[in-house]
Amino acid sequence: MSAPPRVRPAARLRRVVANVLFAVGLPALVLLAWEVLAKAPEDAVGVEKFYPGPFTVGAAFVDNWTGRAFAEDVLPSVYRLAIGIAASIVIGIAVGTVIGLARWLRESTEPVLEFFRAVPPPALIPIVMLLLGINDEMKIAVIVSGAVWPILLNTIEGVRGTDAVMTETADAFRITWWQRLWFLVLPAASPRIMTGVRQGLSVALILMVISEMFASSSGLGYRIVYFQRNYLIAESWSGIVLLGLMGVMLAVLFGFVERRVLRWYHGMREVERG
Amino acid sequence: MLRVEHLRKVYESATGTVEAIGDVSFTMAEGELVCVVGPSGCGKTTLLKCIAGLLRPTSGLIEMDGQPVTGPTPSMALVFQEYGRSLFPWLTVRGNVELPLRHKKLPRSQRARMVDDALVAVGLADAAKSHPWQLSGGMQQRVAIARAIAYEPEVLIMDEPFAAVDAQTRADLEDLVRDLHRTRGVSILFVTHDIDESVYLGERVLVLSTSPTSVRESVAVDLPADRDQIATRALPRFTELRTHVYGQIQRAKQHAGVPSAVP
Repeated sequence: MSAPPRVRPAARLRRVVANVLFAVGLPALVLLAWEVLAKAPEDAVGVEKFYPGPFTVGAAFVDNWTGRAFAEDVLPSVYRLAIGIAASIVIGIAVGTVIGLARWLRESTEPVLEFFRAVPPPALIPIVMLLLGINDEMKIAVIVSGAVWPILLNTIEGVRGTDAVMTETADAFRITWWQRLWFLVLPAASPRIMTGVRQGLSVALILMVISEMFASSSGLGYRIVYFQRNYLIAESWSGIVLLGLMGVMLAVLFGFVERRVLRWYHGMREVERG
Repeated sequence: MLRVEHLRKVYESATGTVEAIGDVSFTMAEGELVCVVGPSGCGKTTLLKCIAGLLRPTSGLIEMDGQPVTGPTPSMALVFQEYGRSLFPWLTVRGNVELPLRHKKLPRSQRARMVDDALVAVGLADAAKSHPWQLSGGMQQRVAIARAIAYEPEVLIMDEPFAAVDAQTRADLEDLVRDLHRTRGVSILFVTHDIDESVYLGERVLVLSTSPTSVRESVAVDLPADRDQIATRALPRFTELRTHVYGQIQRAKQHAGVPSAVP
């Protein structure tokens, strides 16, 4: 008989427990080390005050980022980030596709794009503040000014790299312009586009914080600087923890979307690897 | 139906000009299955691309039903050699076959019927929901053939379609082409470098010269219409024909560089 060997329930349980231990093991160790090394607030002397333990930071996290602060600081930040990312994706893909399709446009815009990409976006903040004022639009503009480049440049490369035989196939079957865009050019570029989006997300998060640190009356960046200026050290750290969590959530969301959009790509790669 | 007259194609590049096609003329009647063979590098693919309207000839005339061909036309469908790069990996088998039909203004139900019908004809009815990369090479080329016949062209143009599949699959696919030709009455222009294949499949074999290409001879294949991989290939007439075509290609190679005079 060639029936697959049955896994005994006890063995399966052991494997699940092992997996969970592996996943939470290192974070738990880090937290433990943190707790051992940090001084309790009442015992901290001098510079030790700047390194509160995990429980202190955890308590500050609950006090400062749940309830009213969530609506006053977290939601505005998330809103700016979401709009900034969405605008970066739309602009990056649209402009990148146009440039990628037209060779003369590609060659003439390349030096300019390289220049703009090389400008560190935070340096734009003072100027953008003058142009747009101190408001959400300014912060969104700063996010877009940085996050759009990886998406734009990757889209150009992806669109340019459309397979010649596929293009000829589309020609031979007289596939219309819009159908070609939707069924050939964009899917063919999608692996590159997703690479660009992944890079754009981390840039967007960075610029969200920085733009809020400059001139703002709400948001995560503003609140972290506020805490720091008022010597609320644990509170400041708790903001950094929240940023880390937001980064992780963005990555998880991206992974979910990417797996759906590029299902064909991962499947094909798996087949090629054998 | 298809008329090619004094077709000439010269590639111009920085390093000079290359005359890929010298002077090619032939006609093809409705419902015919014509194979084109020639020595390697004789510009077979260039010829096909010119006929299909993908390349603009330097001079000469291509006419389909009396209309000059100036670009891709709905009366022709292509099957490329590189099936892996001609099918879209992000679409399912069904999506690939359906794509060229989207711009033909058809009711959805009719479109679906045409796709089903084409997939049944190539023996892939069960693979409609798969992606091309999940299939073997031979099956992928069947998808490309299904896409071409669903388009309902008058001429099916095939560019060395079976050069990249193994011998057994190749025999099956050859019989599929014969089958589609007989049951659907579609005209087929089949380019190959395989002499046996050209004689086995064709009703007529056009032998090309080396570059700059011209037609050396048009060989009528007077084998019975009912062809069989074992019986037909064992016929003395089959051997005669393939020997004849083979000899023509050998002579074409010897005359390489000298434009051959067409009698």
